[in-house]
Amino acid sequence: MRLYAGICGSFPRPPELRRAINEFREGKIDRVEFEERYKASFKRVVRLQEDNGLNLLTSGLLLWDDLLRPFAENLGGIRLGRLLRFFDNNFYYRCPVIVDQIRWTRPITLDEVRGLSEAASRAVKAVVPGPYTFLKLSEDRFYGSKDKLADDVVQALRQEIESLSDLADFIQLDEPSLVDPELGEDDRRWGVELVNALLEAVGVSRDKLLIATYFNLDSRSYSILLEVRAGLHLDLSSTKNADHILMEEGYSGDLLSLGVIDSRSIFPEDPGDIAGRVEKLLEKVSAKALAISTSSWLDYIPFEDAVEKLKTLGEVLRRLEAGSR
Amino acid sequence: MSYELPKTLVTTVVGSYPYFPEALKALQLRKRGERGREYEELVRRAIARAVEDYLSAGVDVVSDGEQRREDMAVFFAEELRGFRLSGLVRIFDNVYYRRPVIADRVEWDHEIIVEDFRYAARLSKGRPVKVTLTGPYTMYTWSLDRYYGDMRKAMLDLAEALSREIKALVEAGARYIQVDEPALSTRPRKEDVILAGEALGIMVGKLSNVKRIMHVCYGKLERLFPEVLDFPIDQLDLEMKNSNYALLELLKEYSFDKELGLGVIDVHSERVESVDEIMEGIGLGLEILPPEKIYVKPDCGLKRLSRETALAKLRNMVEAARRAREELA
Repeated sequence: MRLYAGICGSFPRPPELRRAINEFREGKIDRVEFEERYKASFKRVVRLQEDNGLNLLTSGLLLWDDLLRPFAENLGGIRLGRLLRFFDNNFYYRCPVIVDQIRWTRPITLDEVRGLSEAASRAVKAVVPGPYTFLKLSEDRFYGSKDKLADDVVQALRQEIESLSDLADFIQLDEPSLVDPELGEDDRRWGVELVNALLEAVGVSRDKLLIATYFNLDSRSYSILLEVRAGLHLDLSSTKNADHILMEEGYSGDLLSLGVIDSRSIFPEDPGDIAGRVEKLLEKVSAKALAISTSSWLDYIPFEDAVEKLKTLGEVLRRLEAGSR
Repeated sequence: MSYELPKTLVTTVVGSYPYFPEALKALQLRKRGERGREYEELVRRAIARAVEDYLSAGVDVVSDGEQRREDMAVFFAEELRGFRLSGLVRIFDNVYYRRPVIADRVEWDHEIIVEDFRYAARLSKGRPVKVTLTGPYTMYTWSLDRYYGDMRKAMLDLAEALSREIKALVEAGARYIQVDEPALSTRPRKEDVILAGEALGIMVGKLSNVKRIMHVCYGKLERLFPEVLDFPIDQLDLEMKNSNYALLELLKEYSFDKELGLGVIDVHSERVESVDEIMEGIGLGLEILPPEKIYVKPDCGLKRLSRETALAKLRNMVEAARRAREELA
């Protein structure tokens, strides 16, 4: 089994990037200077991951204002709507409002992923929103038909994923809506079917695709999630019995990512305890590739606390590797 | 000076009022750690102006306008022992704020808003002054916990600490105690609602001769039911206008019989609701509760509005309640 350690998605913007973004938006610096300052922050975040021993790197999604924003801004047929709460977080996303046919016209995250693959000395992971979450968090004012809208979202995301496939070792589709505790069973099944339709359509090997769920894990949603025909990322920090569910139901597949580091808490975590939890889980689950990860994005805690998470993650990986030798 | 409250459709506010320039200056001083005489004087002047506006609008139960508080959670975190402030955390886009961090056991060691209550009460010409405190659930979920690692333990300590403040407020004469729990409608878990009720019990469960109120707004308010019906409160203060009074149906279903703080003013819109429009909202409330159980008030705090809009909205609200009372008579 190949063992990886990497964050689930975003890393908090370093202070210098926050300032650069403000200055650029206020017209105080030009694009050239902004790009330079962004690249410096980007390199800092990649280096932080490497220096802490992580071996599955993300770009930190440093320019993403939220999970959907790069796509809401760059796919045809969408304009930005009002700010809405992102699940149960004190964090808000801008609702994509669909006003015309959704069209993918050019790669959206390709430059970012290329930059990552050039800067990184280890495996890299790209992130895109999953089709179900995209639909659930958007407002349709054009299609009036869930199926037609879903078809076009699937096609748009398919093209984006295919554009990234040569550069990324893994591509993660974020689907927090799939485990929303308030989702009915029929909707959840429909969501999984939609994800599978995209997985069928996309010309990328399944063993490099990962469906990321977070903010919840319960036994009802997990049993339906197992029907997803790709790897899974599970949030093992948001619910108390998540480890138990995984132990009970088990897992066997190509790729499993365990969100054992709590990305929404700054309560100190003991790497020894976490490594022990993972070892216990490995008695019941198996995958060709296993990643240990943060439970979700790291946007919910300050930059300096997120750095602590990287240290913990790296230390857990070292302990697991030492244990398996 | 005494003031006779109307027997029905009492008008009130949720708590905050647009900041007066004096309050903005005071908040700047506070940020710099300068909490001396100038700071206190500015806060007092801002409170006086807020109360003056309430009186000029004719609101029955007023507040201090929360002129001292920039953020409802950060303010109490700065005043209670055990908290510090975090580094910056994103709230949306490139907008960041400092979240409270629970770094040690939470304890109350000094009066926090008692003096503001006393001052507002001196100016309110006999009208009751409602005091508002950010509740343990909201304090906990809007903070980062580095000490407890256990929501229940943290919330019970928070409740204990806030109960000390409430005790001091009651001793100072406060008779309208409102616990604000806006975070409660954002979380899906039933056990959280139950825990919030338990914390309320610690804070206000044993109080008598005091109106015990809980304010909740936005999000999915239906998540509070039915547990909230057993909370030790006399009044549930809810946002209603923004969600087009949809929740009234649920209250009817549960035969809700506590007092209801009926939100009839949208606090996110600068559009001033007409008297007729507000009366319509009051009418919807009257379909499920008798008028003596309805308090007429805005959906939430008014601080995001301009002062002119806030005042105009309150004036129309008071007029609508007056006309509704007339019609009932």
